[in-house]
Amino acid sequence: MTHWLLPGFLSIGALATLILIVGPALYAISLSFYEQQSLTSDPVWVGLANYARVLASDEFWNALWNGFVYAMAAIVLQVVLGIGFALLLQQPFRGRALLRGLAFLPYLLPTVVAVLTFKWMIDGSLGIVTIVLDTLGLPPIYWFETESAAMVSVILVSVWLWTPFVTTTFLAGLQTVPVQLYEAARVDGAGPVRRFFHVTLPALRPILIVIILLRGVWMFNKFDIIWLTTGGGPLGATEHLPVLAYRQAFTLFDLGSGAAIATLSFLALLVIVTLYFWLFPMDDKQ
Amino acid sequence: MQNSAKSKPLPTRRQIIKGLGAAGLGLGLSALPFPALKARASRPIRFLNTETGRDTLAFFKRIAREYQDRAGVEVIVDSVPLSEGFTKITNGIRSGAPYDVASVGFIGQVLLLAEAGHIVPVNALTDPHPWGNNILFPIDNQVFWYPFDYNLSVIYYRKDIYEEKGLALPSTWDEFVANSEASAEGRRRGSLFPIGSNGATNWMSFAFMWAEGVRLFDDDWNVILDNGEMAPRAAAYLDMMARLYQTMPPGALQASYADVLSNMVAGSLTHGPYAGRVVEAAHRDNPDIAAELDIMPYMDSAGKQTAVSHGYDGWIVLNTDMVGPTMEFMQWLTNDRMIDFLHTTPIHFQPARLDIYDNDRWRDHALIRKYGHVLERNRQFITDDSVILTSIDTQGPHADVRPGKVFESFVLPEMLQNKILRGVDSGEAVAQAAARMREVIA
Repeated sequence: MTHWLLPGFLSIGALATLILIVGPALYAISLSFYEQQSLTSDPVWVGLANYARVLASDEFWNALWNGFVYAMAAIVLQVVLGIGFALLLQQPFRGRALLRGLAFLPYLLPTVVAVLTFKWMIDGSLGIVTIVLDTLGLPPIYWFETESAAMVSVILVSVWLWTPFVTTTFLAGLQTVPVQLYEAARVDGAGPVRRFFHVTLPALRPILIVIILLRGVWMFNKFDIIWLTTGGGPLGATEHLPVLAYRQAFTLFDLGSGAAIATLSFLALLVIVTLYFWLFPMDDKQ
Repeated sequence: MQNSAKSKPLPTRRQIIKGLGAAGLGLGLSALPFPALKARASRPIRFLNTETGRDTLAFFKRIAREYQDRAGVEVIVDSVPLSEGFTKITNGIRSGAPYDVASVGFIGQVLLLAEAGHIVPVNALTDPHPWGNNILFPIDNQVFWYPFDYNLSVIYYRKDIYEEKGLALPSTWDEFVANSEASAEGRRRGSLFPIGSNGATNWMSFAFMWAEGVRLFDDDWNVILDNGEMAPRAAAYLDMMARLYQTMPPGALQASYADVLSNMVAGSLTHGPYAGRVVEAAHRDNPDIAAELDIMPYMDSAGKQTAVSHGYDGWIVLNTDMVGPTMEFMQWLTNDRMIDFLHTTPIHFQPARLDIYDNDRWRDHALIRKYGHVLERNRQFITDDSVILTSIDTQGPHADVRPGKVFESFVLPEMLQNKILRGVDSGEAVAQAAARMREVIA
């Protein structure tokens, strides 16, 4: 009986993955080799023509660059702030448990709620931030009104929403670092900064590698925040590959180009992840 | 034995099969007396609705029940936001389970479906009625949709502020910008016209350009936005919008329908574009503001021409095995329940059928009695041939998918952003937009 248990469960998982993930992914990739100018027209085989057209367009390279900028900036800020908050919440103080719970709160909010709340808070006429600034005699902030301001704004929203994930994961990791290591370092005369860099960080290296990897993949593919805040604008300043693929497929109804962009995005991510594991191997022996 | 006498034995497999067989036979026999009904509607009518107001949803729930009681045909109504409607329609077609009737908000989508043979003409529904201007979009005298409303984007303005500031209704761009500047006070801004790459900008911000006589295509579908006649007009429009932008609150570059609506209802604007929904929202949330709202058309630079931005919704009947029962249902809906439907959103659903304006029952709704002046003014816009009634997606010599592509690719909002955000020379911005349009429709 037990001989069948493991393969049985594995095959259920494999089957579910095949049907729900591999199958649709392969179908999406197959669409990229066809031209279909509306959702009702018959697809026509065009080989690599969609890829050639997409790769020749400025929109694609702009979106790829925007994706890197958005993902990198968001990850760096999330990790730096997340680690900082985790270290603070590791210290013993009154109300620590409550604060740890509150720190996790933004992560629990549905993205659409968080984004719409943020947009209403900064509304140019009625937003609480605008009104407070006006009351203080300060000029309004044009959050999404220039290309760079729009990118900074979507990064800030992402950092606000996702830093708690880093904080919580890092905080959990901190519990596993043996106290003796800190005591030994203290006896050797190491201050807080040296203890952090020579004890904490090396001990949490595997967690950090996974956090950065997960956050990187998620931010590169993050669709909802940008779509809900700027829709990729103004003038494509915040449009990254997922938004571009969606726009091609579902607003311009060019399914072939949309699928080609999504496939290229997948390949780009594959290269980045491979490179990342090569640079930061998780195997202790290396 | 004693145990078996106390508890009933479980039915055997043979008994279960017999029971199921008897039930199936019973069901089959029960259908025999109703062959006509079976032939008429072998399955329910599937209706895709994209009007998601609370009262409209309740209306469809009610009439589905009513029609089943009346005709014995089940009507299943699915409701999704308008933006998801076309994808849902096409998914149904491709999956082999198409909807029988659906609402759509873009004539380009109607044409795509008609060209592919997925929808049937509905002349039987439309021919008996008089209609407003530029709404049926026939193809070879065949009408493929039943337009139930206009959603014209017009300029709403605050009568009380005009009175307080002693302003006259503007008839030129200069006067309009001047009024916007003069009416700003405290946190209240002069106007808000969306500028971002979204549907709100496409719909609400270009009627100034239509009033100026700008056309995007000639009769052979050549892009003429940058020709000698149109380019100076489009450039002048961009210059005017750059000035008007100075009277808007922060956020115009991302403003959506909701932003314009909430700003108007909250009383933080003197001018804002919208259709009748703004009156309904203001009546519900801020009745004092609602009482002060009136409308005007978009004007040109010289005070010679006016325009309103076209908007509409309608129903299509899909080419399914249920065309007959669906058309019967639509006859009933559009003849017997049309007024009830329009009353679910009484000001925003500006009737496309002209006979409705004279219908006493329609006029007797409380909101229509109170805000009838808005509907009456809009009625003039859809019947007066001197008012330009157009939009990006209805540009060109006849209805076609090409202007729809220009609409969806946000070429014209990007032209506005190039001018306002990047400070590109107006002529250059127009030239870039024309070049992009040619790419999009190629």
